[in-house]
Amino acid sequence: MLQQHQHQHHLQSVVAAAPNPSSSSTTSTTPSSITGEAPPKQVAQAMDRLGQAARLIADIRLGADRLLEALFVAAQPHQSSKPLHLFRQEDESMRQHLQDLRTVGKQLEESGVLNESLRSRSNSWGLHMPLVCPDCAVVAYAWKRQLAGQAGASAVDRTRLALKAFTDQKRRFFPHLNDEEDGESTDNVSKKHRNLPAQADDNQDNLSDCKTLSDLLTNLEKDMPNLKVMTYERLDWLKRASSLPAAANDNTMEAPKHNFHSSHILRAAPQNVVSMDKIAVIELFFPSVFRAVVSLHPAGSTDPDSVAFFSPDEGGSYMHSRGSSVYHVFRQITEHATVALQYFLGIRSKTALHSLLHWICSYQTLFTKVCNKCGRLLAMDRQSALILPPVHRPYRTFSASKVLSTQDQSSNAPEAYHISCFSDDAALALALYCNRLR
Amino acid sequence: MPLKWVFNWQPNAGSTVNSQILNEVSQCVESMNGVKEGRWKATLTFYKPMLRDQALAAEFPREFIGISLPEQPNKYYFILRGNKIVLEADSSIQLIMEKLQSYKSRVALNFEGFQYQLGDFQLRVGKVVPTHSENLRGIVMEVEYLPISSLEKSKQIVDEFVDIWQEAVSKRSLPGHFMHIEPSFSEYGLADHYTSQHTAVQYAHVMGQLIATVQAVQAGRN
Repeated sequence: MLQQHQHQHHLQSVVAAAPNPSSSSTTSTTPSSITGEAPPKQVAQAMDRLGQAARLIADIRLGADRLLEALFVAAQPHQSSKPLHLFRQEDESMRQHLQDLRTVGKQLEESGVLNESLRSRSNSWGLHMPLVCPDCAVVAYAWKRQLAGQAGASAVDRTRLALKAFTDQKRRFFPHLNDEEDGESTDNVSKKHRNLPAQADDNQDNLSDCKTLSDLLTNLEKDMPNLKVMTYERLDWLKRASSLPAAANDNTMEAPKHNFHSSHILRAAPQNVVSMDKIAVIELFFPSVFRAVVSLHPAGSTDPDSVAFFSPDEGGSYMHSRGSSVYHVFRQITEHATVALQYFLGIRSKTALHSLLHWICSYQTLFTKVCNKCGRLLAMDRQSALILPPVHRPYRTFSASKVLSTQDQSSNAPEAYHISCFSDDAALALALYCNRLR
Repeated sequence: MPLKWVFNWQPNAGSTVNSQILNEVSQCVESMNGVKEGRWKATLTFYKPMLRDQALAAEFPREFIGISLPEQPNKYYFILRGNKIVLEADSSIQLIMEKLQSYKSRVALNFEGFQYQLGDFQLRVGKVVPTHSENLRGIVMEVEYLPISSLEKSKQIVDEFVDIWQEAVSKRSLPGHFMHIEPSFSEYGLADHYTSQHTAVQYAHVMGQLIATVQAVQAGRN
């Protein structure tokens, strides 16, 4: 039978191939014998074996299909012994394939491909055995760059595939999750935060006003008289950031006139020409206090994806929503803001931008509002050994209405804490909450 | 440009400055986790006009001060304290004055010492010595808050930092304290945005305080 011949031929080729690697290195015994060989050869052999294994697996899959087909045919009414014959054939070949696969697998294990035993050997000229990652991607060479590149490339591909698969699954099995204005999800949120009813109410109130990006920004400018809000396409922001005068010398007296002129042009042009759906960067500028950069993804949406704070006098291409200020105070605020952003997105992503922007505005009192816990403006932070103003503004109990009252003395003004004062308080609050739950 | 305050060491009545105090102050900065960064030097010169007819001397301002600052190597600052005038010029003006023989240097002082970084604050501690001698005349200190430049917004921060600093210094029981008197910048025509001209004005005032101290000590001796 043709199939049998094919199988035998295949078996022969497998058997012929199998002794080849095993003859040059007694793989069934100790791995130390492998090190007698040059690493490139080891790598080549390992790649060969992996190829074999892949072919065997394909054969097994094919064999399984054939078995199922044979069963199906056997289930048909008027069949002779043909299906039984087919079945027996396939059974044999399958067993052989599986046996071969076991052999190859053992060889690979012993040569260190399926585990990481060889990676740390120092005499391997920088080459290591091909690596099979836990999620089945094969990386041939372990030269660092290549490894990183391949791993990176395969990681990107795998992530993309995983994301696609996940989105498809979600759409199939959870269709109602696409629609977040559903009453169900709101109820869940308010149940979780039973002790913070004010927040949910606030969000509901403002939600109707802030459906679109332009509404949101217009309202924000209206509420905050000291604030300058500007929007940019992503590349335009880079131009703007590079044209900002960098801090520190007297020439800033003259320079701003020029830069203001050019940045004024830069500023005016995008907003006149570009529509709201290309806006990717929002700049919040409180003169003399700080400049915050918020990035939207995708452009034109109300979904913030990163935020960073900078000095009002800083300038340069490193100033973007994932960048880092040169000053400690703004670096600390950026870290805190990133956590706050994740919190706002997690609680209710539709109003995340609205909450984030208002929360950012609470920092206009950065250099004047004393800490609510210790009553001082500056404090030495134990962890970083730096003297800093209160860089924490709480976001869990945040409500936009607090920020609107800009009088520092009113009891509704947003609170501020030093890093150590806040963590102490947070720990205390958590402990009290746990006690209440009991 | 970030806000900077200049302080002058005010010795207690009956005591004088000495290098021991300078050492103690430096140690104090280091105990606050200050990181030593390098040296700094500023110069201050009193000029007097070169006149053929000395009777005209009364028409010229009594104190004509020239200052060079380390952060502006290409600039030179002139101050007339009595007339509340500050002027920023190119550093080549000194050469011009020399060539013209219009003004001569009467007394020249150096402010020099070490620079420290404390997070977003920059501190400079320096001794005041005449140019060609090692005679310690005074101690000055600069405190700078780097992230912002507005006088109005930085005031509270620098105030509190100075409180923390004064507390740390007072623990060492030194015979004196650092004093800061904020000159009225608006009288000099300077704006809220801090510049090196503001620094120059502060140094001129510090000089005034130093002279007053020295004269008081001399008066006490006599």
